[in-house]
Amino acid sequence: MSHFSLAAAAVDVVRLRAGLQDPASGGFCAFEGWVRNSNEGRDVDGLEYEAYAELALIEGERIVSEAMARYGVNAAHCMHRTGHLKIGELAVWVGVSSAHRDEAFRACRYIIDEIKHRLPVWKKEHYVDGDTAWVACAHTQRQHEHEHRHPHDHAPHVHVPKPLFVPDYSRQTRLRAVGDSGQARLAAARVLVIGAGGLGCPVLSYLAGAGVGTLGIVDGDRLDASNLHRQTMYDARDIGEPKVELAARRITSLNPSVVVQTHAEPLHAGNIAEVFAAYHMVVECSDDMRSRYLCNDAAVITGTPLILASIHQYEGQLQVVGAKPGEPCLRCLWPQEPAPGDTGTCEESGVLGPVPGVLGAMQATEALKLLLDLPAPTDHALLLVDLLDQTMQRLPIDPARGCALHGGCIAVATAALKQARDDRTMDIAFDDLDAAITAGYALVDVREPEEIATRPLSVASHALPSTQIESRADELPHGRVLLVCASGRRSRHAARLLRDRGMHDIHSLAGGIAALSAATARAPN
Amino acid sequence: MITVTLQYYAQLREQAGTGRESCDTSAGSLRELYEELRLRHGFTLPVDALKVAVNAQFSDWSRELADHDTIVFIPPVAGG
Repeated sequence: MSHFSLAAAAVDVVRLRAGLQDPASGGFCAFEGWVRNSNEGRDVDGLEYEAYAELALIEGERIVSEAMARYGVNAAHCMHRTGHLKIGELAVWVGVSSAHRDEAFRACRYIIDEIKHRLPVWKKEHYVDGDTAWVACAHTQRQHEHEHRHPHDHAPHVHVPKPLFVPDYSRQTRLRAVGDSGQARLAAARVLVIGAGGLGCPVLSYLAGAGVGTLGIVDGDRLDASNLHRQTMYDARDIGEPKVELAARRITSLNPSVVVQTHAEPLHAGNIAEVFAAYHMVVECSDDMRSRYLCNDAAVITGTPLILASIHQYEGQLQVVGAKPGEPCLRCLWPQEPAPGDTGTCEESGVLGPVPGVLGAMQATEALKLLLDLPAPTDHALLLVDLLDQTMQRLPIDPARGCALHGGCIAVATAALKQARDDRTMDIAFDDLDAAITAGYALVDVREPEEIATRPLSVASHALPSTQIESRADELPHGRVLLVCASGRRSRHAARLLRDRGMHDIHSLAGGIAALSAATARAPN
Repeated sequence: MITVTLQYYAQLREQAGTGRESCDTSAGSLRELYEELRLRHGFTLPVDALKVAVNAQFSDWSRELADHDTIVFIPPVAGG
């Protein structure tokens, strides 16, 4: 069965539903749209749907396929009626079957929202007073998602059927250095954006608006209320939703011609080079130092240009890593990833909302400059932006003084990525600490004493703060050891230090105690 | 004794309580200067975690100071 159908007469819903039966499915979700007896305060006694059938079939198929890919559901179908319908008749039907209910609900919602927004279908309302009016269905701007009412939606009046959205890039193609050829380069470009937070929001918005053909998004987080002061793509109703999905949807509504690819899990040493190879450029917008170093190494190895930025309170740093021979990388400045705690986070240090906006807009500018081959300085620099002092300081980087002293960027990056792969055998995830003990691990809590006092572990453990782990390594229990901290960062760093001393059976609890609580709190499906 | 201008970024600014200050010092090198400042301001970052620039150029820590140098200490930052 195809994923989308138009029907000129009433359709048997039982048959549609039966078409989605799948032995791998444990959940089914359906939405039915019915003809209502009033619209915008006028009594309606029926309506008539007219579709641009060729386009509607293609677009409908595309929408349902997108939902299936995005949410990983087993089967889905959407049926839209055409012709005359009476009050109470079924106008549109969406059904989704999937392994679990969550994806089914989400995919169903996605399909009906996109159908309302994108399908070239018009409806003629027949009013009780004998009047009629054509209403374009595709102008509703996904009202049910955001409840914003478009000012033109009020009085029903005649709408000329609208063609599908055609982007207008005239304001940038007018730039002599851009032109139609530059626009074509953007359309052919594939850019990966890592992190859809404070930096990622402006980067994604500007690149989507500019017409970058394919945008990849990596983000494993769900939207938190504390993100909203700086992450401008989201709104309060989105809290708790995965950011990759929200960002993908926002980009699609901003510029439907952009193809979006989402990665809901952070990249790791085992897959990052392969993922980078599928893109022309990477923009690093995460708040994670480890991700920045990992991206640097993968960019250098795969020759993928990388645009780095990071922020702290009222200031930021920007570096473009060209990933060409002789051009400096992140490790040319700071050779080793700093110890956790040596770098602040937004959570610990605070950040003024527009600061990542400024740095993210600069990253987007650098990305477009590279893609369009616009004029840029020939040397390479670290740019320091201080928004309190209103100063920018550009510090040229001498590549001869960086990785070149240690065998060159590629050799340094290759060694670092190899170690990062080894680190992956160090990180171990458990649903609860009892499971770790059953698996034969002795637990060592590496948090500071005051943290332990506030939130002690539920099982027996040794206490040895990460700051003293090297000097007191002889106090560690024998055998397999699992180091535990709040987030998994300090424990990983400590495990790395100990492994470097030849203690190979030292492991780190992936995600720390925070990941445990999430797993324990997760409701059964 | 010479006088230099110091600029701090990120955590160093937080810990020093200022982004910029003037300082009289007899430190022989940038490394010695940073160790002096570490004691004075309670900087937690070790010298190896930082980059230093003098008069808008990155520099080695062994560099000697000159009167009226502008010295910038730059830690890596991670926020996004």
